[in-house]
Amino acid sequence: MLEISELRKRFAGGPDAPEGKVALDGIGFAVRPGEMFGFVGANGAGKTTTMRIVMGVLRADSGSVSWQGRPLTYADRRGFGYMPEERGLYQKMRVAEQIEYFGRLRGMSPAAAGKATGDLIERLGLGERKGDAVESLSLGNQQRVQLAVALVHDPEVLVLDEPFSGLDPLAVDTLATALQERCRGGVPVIFSSHQLDLVERLCDSVGIVSAGRMVATGTVEELRAAEGGTLRVVVRDPEPGWADGLPGEVTVNGDRHVLRAQDGDGQEILRRAAKAGHVEHFGMEQPSLTQIFKEAVA
Amino acid sequence: MNGLLLVARREIATHIRTKAFVISLLITAALVGAAAFAPKVFGGPDTYTLGTVNSQQLPLQAVAPDAEIEWRAFPDEAAAKRAVLDGDVDAVLVDGVKVISDGEIDSELGILLQSTNREMKLGAAGVNIPPLRMESVGADTRYQAARTGIAVVLVLVLFMLVIGQTMTVAMGVVEEKGSRIVEILLTSIRPWQLLGGKILGLGALGMINLVTILGVGVAAALASGLAMDFPPGMPGIVAGVLIWFVLGYAFFATLAAALGSLVSRQEEVGNVMSPLTMLIMAAYFVAFYATAEPTSSVASVMALIPPFSSMVMPVRMAATEVPIWQVGLSMALMVLAVLVVLSFAAKVYERAVLRTGARVRLGEVLRGK
Repeated sequence: MLEISELRKRFAGGPDAPEGKVALDGIGFAVRPGEMFGFVGANGAGKTTTMRIVMGVLRADSGSVSWQGRPLTYADRRGFGYMPEERGLYQKMRVAEQIEYFGRLRGMSPAAAGKATGDLIERLGLGERKGDAVESLSLGNQQRVQLAVALVHDPEVLVLDEPFSGLDPLAVDTLATALQERCRGGVPVIFSSHQLDLVERLCDSVGIVSAGRMVATGTVEELRAAEGGTLRVVVRDPEPGWADGLPGEVTVNGDRHVLRAQDGDGQEILRRAAKAGHVEHFGMEQPSLTQIFKEAVA
Repeated sequence: MNGLLLVARREIATHIRTKAFVISLLITAALVGAAAFAPKVFGGPDTYTLGTVNSQQLPLQAVAPDAEIEWRAFPDEAAAKRAVLDGDVDAVLVDGVKVISDGEIDSELGILLQSTNREMKLGAAGVNIPPLRMESVGADTRYQAARTGIAVVLVLVLFMLVIGQTMTVAMGVVEEKGSRIVEILLTSIRPWQLLGGKILGLGALGMINLVTILGVGVAAALASGLAMDFPPGMPGIVAGVLIWFVLGYAFFATLAAALGSLVSRQEEVGNVMSPLTMLIMAAYFVAFYATAEPTSSVASVMALIPPFSSMVMPVRMAATEVPIWQVGLSMALMVLAVLVVLSFAAKVYERAVLRTGARVRLGEVLRGK
């Protein structure tokens, strides 16, 4: 299990902001083997800083990152796969050479690196471009190469900073499938994203970060349960003032009145609605991750 | 394979197949080759075309055996004057008593004519003067021209290679930092492996360049016959150049990597590197001065002080005889300087290379903030 606890980080300020900026304010969460963890939060909330600290690229002021119960070491991190926020590839280097090079740097033998590179190129659909320089590739294909670089040494943990940004739906699917395969193989995967529908679809659990703190964490189901559903009632042609005294808000759309309520007695509301007019819809609505997110960071 | 060697190998493989590398190597090799033939084409012995009007030819050849002298006879002074003004002849001896020329006569030719004329007249009068025996009690200056020539070529080659490879190191560091490749690299290998590998790889490329240039130069000198004028100990001079290149490059490239790690964008490289490029330029100017005045005290002192010594000493060694203790002292000081710079630069690089964004201040890095 990868455990991140109580990370704090303050960046030194310039002359105009001498007190600096708090990037992380005690963030903490854990990712189990085989779990896909979606890391969401507004820009500047602290996602990238957290991931850079996990990868040892940045040092935290305090707090700890542990892997399998002990503090994370350089040797552990060599076994991790990492995709930085801004894409890091040698633009002039050829695709296959580049993937293989990073495999070798992580200590693979030439034969093993060569084989893993071949497999990944196949899997990620880069076969036709393997001899091309990275700079001649489309953004989507560059991203695939970047993922291949993160995956080549069969990592024990994957830390990916916005792996899906700027990709078309087909590329998203290819990348998502590749990640899910690793995840099923028992690898903990952390990725950050602003595409909440994607996070909702792919992730076993989600962490919502705001101002350097984890404001909500759990499975999507747990977050939904915590947020609670919304009762939505649609009544056609009701008597005016039918909802007086009921919880929630009424919006009028032509001759349809829509009542949304977070709490209150559902049965009572239904009785009043039925008495007032023709009830077209009555049901609980589950909040989307977007709603949960907005609520959490508000 | 160790991370350092993997990085070095990548640097070599990446640069060696670029057009820029191949073309610049071909051009430099061609220039050095051409320089070996240049004295043959432009130099050569003095040639004079002389004329006579009603006079006897002077036995100039006996006094100046290397000169090529052609004589022409003119019927009268008017014809001779026309030939002089047309530039057909350098000078004409008229009636055995005067010499006409277009403007003031070439001083060497003037002295040659005067002394030969005097000697001939004295000889005719029965006076026989034994020629003076010339003997040097100082340094052997027979190879001076060749030595200076070699030194000039060396200083140019060393300067170009050092500044070229140094800039390449800085740009490579910034490329990795700016694109965040360094974040992936440094979760795979240690900073010293990345830094060392880059410097080693680009240094090896510089050596390939230098060995090619020296090889072409020596081969061309042998082919053109210029090698006949080379001073003894040429293999030592060549080997010295290789060692001095390694030392100078190690010094400047390490500093370049440290300075490069302070910035995140290629556009900032020139700016952050300017103190270092100025230092290299200064070393170059001193070395160039040393080609002309290799025994001056400035050249002697600067040949001992790192990092100037890395360019001045090989030039001095080519241009003149340098006492062995000076070479040893200079090398020891330079090695020491390289070690100091290495430990300083490794610290700066390690602390600054992951701090992307605005330019990192050297002071902050050194304070360890």
